[in-house]
Amino acid sequence: MTQELSSLMDGELGADEAGRVIGTCCGNEQLKQKWQEYHLIGEALRGERPRLGGSTGRIMDAISREPTVLAPMRRATPSPGRIALAAAASVATVAVVGWIGMQDSATPAGPSVAKSAPAALEAAPVAVANVVPLNNVNEYMVVHRQLPNAQFYRPVANQAAGGR
Amino acid sequence: MRRLAAALPVAALLACLPAAAAPGADPLHWLQRAADSARTNTYAGTVVHMSGDRASTSRITHLFYGGAEHEKIEALDGDRREIVRHNEEMQCFFPDAKTVRLDRRVTARFFPSLVGGTPQAIAEHYHVKLGAVERVLGQDCQWIHLDPRDALRFAQRLCAEIGSGLLMRAKTLGARQQVLEHFTFTELRLGPQVSRSELKSTFHAQSKDWRRDNQAAGDTRQAATGWQVANPPPGFRLVSEMQRTLPSRAQPVSHLVFSDGLATMSVFIESMSSPVRTGEATNEDGALSVFVRPMGENMVTVLGEVPPAAAQQVGRSVTRQPAAR
Repeated sequence: MTQELSSLMDGELGADEAGRVIGTCCGNEQLKQKWQEYHLIGEALRGERPRLGGSTGRIMDAISREPTVLAPMRRATPSPGRIALAAAASVATVAVVGWIGMQDSATPAGPSVAKSAPAALEAAPVAVANVVPLNNVNEYMVVHRQLPNAQFYRPVANQAAGGR
Repeated sequence: MRRLAAALPVAALLACLPAAAAPGADPLHWLQRAADSARTNTYAGTVVHMSGDRASTSRITHLFYGGAEHEKIEALDGDRREIVRHNEEMQCFFPDAKTVRLDRRVTARFFPSLVGGTPQAIAEHYHVKLGAVERVLGQDCQWIHLDPRDALRFAQRLCAEIGSGLLMRAKTLGARQQVLEHFTFTELRLGPQVSRSELKSTFHAQSKDWRRDNQAAGDTRQAATGWQVANPPPGFRLVSEMQRTLPSRAQPVSHLVFSDGLATMSVFIESMSSPVRTGEATNEDGALSVFVRPMGENMVTVLGEVPPAAAQQVGRSVTRQPAAR
């Protein structure tokens, strides 16, 4: 779904697909958040100083104020014409937003070695069925990236002095 | 004669061209410039980092004087926190916890300082070539393409400002050319208009009586762990070995760091009184691969900006070091 949302912002989806993605997006908090993040990223990539919270909040407000354009389809069998209308409107919105995208747009010129790379360079199949939740390795991730993670100190702060 | 006179400056100009173009044509030279520039140039700007589903913004101020790097990194998203770095020594300020953590840079990738190894060593495992010249933030930038020679590392795209060589953008690409991770300046000042006063931590004055946590800095002292990785991917060398003390772990955790000059892997080995997991497990987050493997009474965890296959290869070849050494 994330990929589809990204494609929607790129204006790459057909009318039917766009209507479906928009419908799902607006009913799902997680996807709404992604939509926000993508806009923030788009702004950043355009060289605009990211306006933390404000602009994306306004975009989301705008979305929620435009039910005829972006709200989920309530009718069980909406007419194709209505989907097309909604999709067209959404594409127009996307065009205004001017998403640049995380695609490798910066390096399309000239022949690319990687694009013609042999299949052998594809990573070997991963023969591990289990998924380790990222939360389980959070502490190691902080150590590996050496990021100043304030959460590292939350449990420590509640302990008596010398608790580390 | 007049025609010849008119042609002379043109001829002189043409004669100059190959000489002027020569330094710019060697991709390894560009890699070296990118590494040197991140260290010795003066710059300040806003950096956006995108990895997986997340974007984070920080402000970096970097100066070089007295033969040393001086840098301040302020996180602009989430909890307030700030790093002040002098070469590898880092002070991390946590105003909410009123704590200053002392640390030493080992694995951190602080854009635009991404090129760690020598260009020659990097070129052994990546095809390095120059891409397009593109305008980024109003500056002409040279793209440098690094495509892996095997499936055990990711392709990189680095965009270096032509005048200084400083990286303005960097992308990590997956096997299908999808962007896994992306650093970009969104605003940048290069050169002398950045002053030393900007380096001082926002919390400099108020942090005098904050708690100081020296654990991390002490932990980064090199120490034998008794563990080794028998079969790391080609080009990945052990660059650091230490014992880590983590808040949630009763016992120190062994930490081995491997790098191929661009990508870094951390191997953690902790002893478990009762193993919590019975089989291998894996995960991915942006360019980061995670691989977990129980090994008797120990748990091996590998994290790195590498394909899952590389993390697995490392994790599966962790062994005790032979006693006689």
